[in-house]
Amino acid sequence: MITLTPLRTFNVPIQTPCITPENFAGKTLTDIKKLPATEGNRNITLGDLFKIEQDPAETPNITLNGDLSKVKRVGQAMKSGEIVINGNIGMHTGEKMAGGKIIINGNAGGWTGSEMKKGTIEIHGDVGDYLASPYRGNDLGMKGGLITVDGNVGTDVGCYLKGGIIKITGSAGQFLGYHMTDGAIYVEKNCDVRTGACMTGGKIVVGGTLEILPSFTIDSIKPKVKVDNTTNVSGPFYVFLGDLSERGTGKIFANKAANPALAFYEKYL
Amino acid sequence: MNKTINNVVCPICGCLCDDLEVTVENNEIIKMKNGCAVCEAKMVHGYKSDERILKPLIRKDGKLVPVSMDEAIKKAAQILTDAKYPLLFGWSSTVSEAQRIGVELAEELGSALDNCCSVCHGPSVMATQEIGIPAATLGQIRHRADLIVYWACNPWASHPRHVERYTAFTDGRFEGSEWKNYMQRLRADSGRKKMEMASKRIARVEPPIKPQVCFTGPPPQMLERKSGRKVIVVDVRKTMTAEAADYFLQIEPNRDYEVIEALRCLVLDQELDVDKVGGIPIDTLRDVADAMMSCGFGVIYFGLGMTQSLGRFRNIEIAIALARDLNRKTKFVISPMRGHFNVTGANNVFAWQTGYPFAIDFSQGYPQFNPGENTAVDLLRRGDNDATLIISADPGAHFPSVIMQNMMKHPLITINPDMNAISRLGDVVFPAQWCGIEYSGTAYRMDTVPLTLKKVVEAPPGILTDEELLTRILKEVRAIKVKRGEPVGQGEVKLAHPDKVKAPQACKAPAKPKRAKKGKGAA
Repeated sequence: MITLTPLRTFNVPIQTPCITPENFAGKTLTDIKKLPATEGNRNITLGDLFKIEQDPAETPNITLNGDLSKVKRVGQAMKSGEIVINGNIGMHTGEKMAGGKIIINGNAGGWTGSEMKKGTIEIHGDVGDYLASPYRGNDLGMKGGLITVDGNVGTDVGCYLKGGIIKITGSAGQFLGYHMTDGAIYVEKNCDVRTGACMTGGKIVVGGTLEILPSFTIDSIKPKVKVDNTTNVSGPFYVFLGDLSERGTGKIFANKAANPALAFYEKYL
Repeated sequence: MNKTINNVVCPICGCLCDDLEVTVENNEIIKMKNGCAVCEAKMVHGYKSDERILKPLIRKDGKLVPVSMDEAIKKAAQILTDAKYPLLFGWSSTVSEAQRIGVELAEELGSALDNCCSVCHGPSVMATQEIGIPAATLGQIRHRADLIVYWACNPWASHPRHVERYTAFTDGRFEGSEWKNYMQRLRADSGRKKMEMASKRIARVEPPIKPQVCFTGPPPQMLERKSGRKVIVVDVRKTMTAEAADYFLQIEPNRDYEVIEALRCLVLDQELDVDKVGGIPIDTLRDVADAMMSCGFGVIYFGLGMTQSLGRFRNIEIAIALARDLNRKTKFVISPMRGHFNVTGANNVFAWQTGYPFAIDFSQGYPQFNPGENTAVDLLRRGDNDATLIISADPGAHFPSVIMQNMMKHPLITINPDMNAISRLGDVVFPAQWCGIEYSGTAYRMDTVPLTLKKVVEAPPGILTDEELLTRILKEVRAIKVKRGEPVGQGEVKLAHPDKVKAPQACKAPAKPKRAKKGKGAA
């Protein structure tokens, strides 16, 4: 196990796409210290930024400690192994991840798990905007894997979702599951407005309050819903179909007890 | 001696009206014709401000003291090269030639580069990247558009000549002006108001308080029957533009997305389960959708009410999607009401040089784009940068206080003609010329048509143009980097047209037709 601790407080953004288990595998401490990183516009090495220590324990492969909220792109495109982050972490963590596991014991920045294909990200804290959403201007959303969040998430979570599962214990911002085509999002608490806008497939399950866009139509009331193989949520739930403006067949499950404002839809059943 | 200069391009808003007639006396603009009130405020009075910066200033012991241009340039270059992550912000009120040098400077410094559009129409640019845009030039709209929708904008105040020159009140080749109809309606309205007042005075009773209506104007069915151009205004309050419109839809604040989504469903012949959206009954929306589908050439102009309210660029995305859906039934285009006169130019120049229109990060040696990460407001809120250069913008007056506090923790360089809020806070304060008044250059109209701004008067002595100043800063930055043994960019920076700046031309009186003198005609 390699442990990284910041040598000082970072004032400008640090980009460290080199921190992945594959990159560290088979390298000595001196080699790891020489891996390239950037501090603002200066090209430096990992050894200039972090105190790097080796531990005989096998898992996790990499541990990061301290305030890392300015450190970006940790675990980018990692394929296997495990990273544990004890503290807040910056943007683009686990971007384009294709396997392995990242555990964040703190808050995470925006674009965490962006364009992820496989693997697991566990966040024991809040997350910024654009969790599991693609880069600007493209529609390559998350394709597979699992993201669990213990806290709240920002806006535009799971945009262009094509597969995989996102579970959020707290609340979510607006445009949850924007343009999603497949996969599932489960929010235990409330959602801000415009949930599932332009979705054409997949499912969104909301345990708390939410607002339904005018372009959704009611389909049925169901007593419970299955999010994935391990999670079954009991309701009852209003099931909405949409988004009609995209001729979509995505499903939003809205908790009946938490949403008395949606009761008027029952007359269409 | 008076000189009149014709066809001067107005350097104020995105309309770039190019028909101004400016009268100059003793190197001062004394009169202008054709311009709007906003234009006159800047071109006749504003640029002569007492707050003009005439010499470069450097902050020493907390006070700004005048220094030579060379010293200020050296100091600025030193600050920028010492910084690990500088931010270059502004650019929308300067000419494209200066923006070009700005990109080169940002690349040399490895800095973040952003323009004012990140706090105005940046969301429109982002939405265009997501979904594309069906657009047309203002000339097309002037000649052909028979349905004009102003969504969340008030051109009567922000772009005063937009309605007059390009949309409802202009005589196009195929569509006429609605000015006479508007004047008739205005007279009828004022007559009605006078009658009401008089009857109130005679009866000596208070008129019943009218409940606030959410939509006004003639019923939309009449819109279809009305001949000529039609104007629909959608806004959260009744503006002057709304007064001039044929139909005004007053929606609840932050409900643009829902209303457009409902309109899209109606255009696609989908049934809706709800009775009202954003405070508007569905039947009314259906009539509006019918009016949109039955026009020959429609256009949606949207403003900051859409880009800066809840939903930001998703609002624009859905509005573009509506225009796309409408194109299945008729011809429909959509266009942003760009604010500053060359903010479109900033997007175009940045995109031409780097591939991205704004929110660019050069710290990795190549351009990276991500609004939300590299945009000035987000970057400063997180306190990521360690030096700032502001050119032709005043974030001091417009940015949130937290962001200004973060900006003030590090050195600040400003380039502005006037001692505005941000110049007062600067550590190195450069004077600048008013572009479009004191030097010429290229600016892009809101429909991305480039026009040449004219030089009308001479600038005060010793003040450099933005282009020249940035070129000298860039040369100094390269010299410092060479001393440090760091690699620098290749090639010498050349001004786009060093000799182009011409003296103002006097307007020639129209030549009188020559008449043959009597007695000589036979010879």
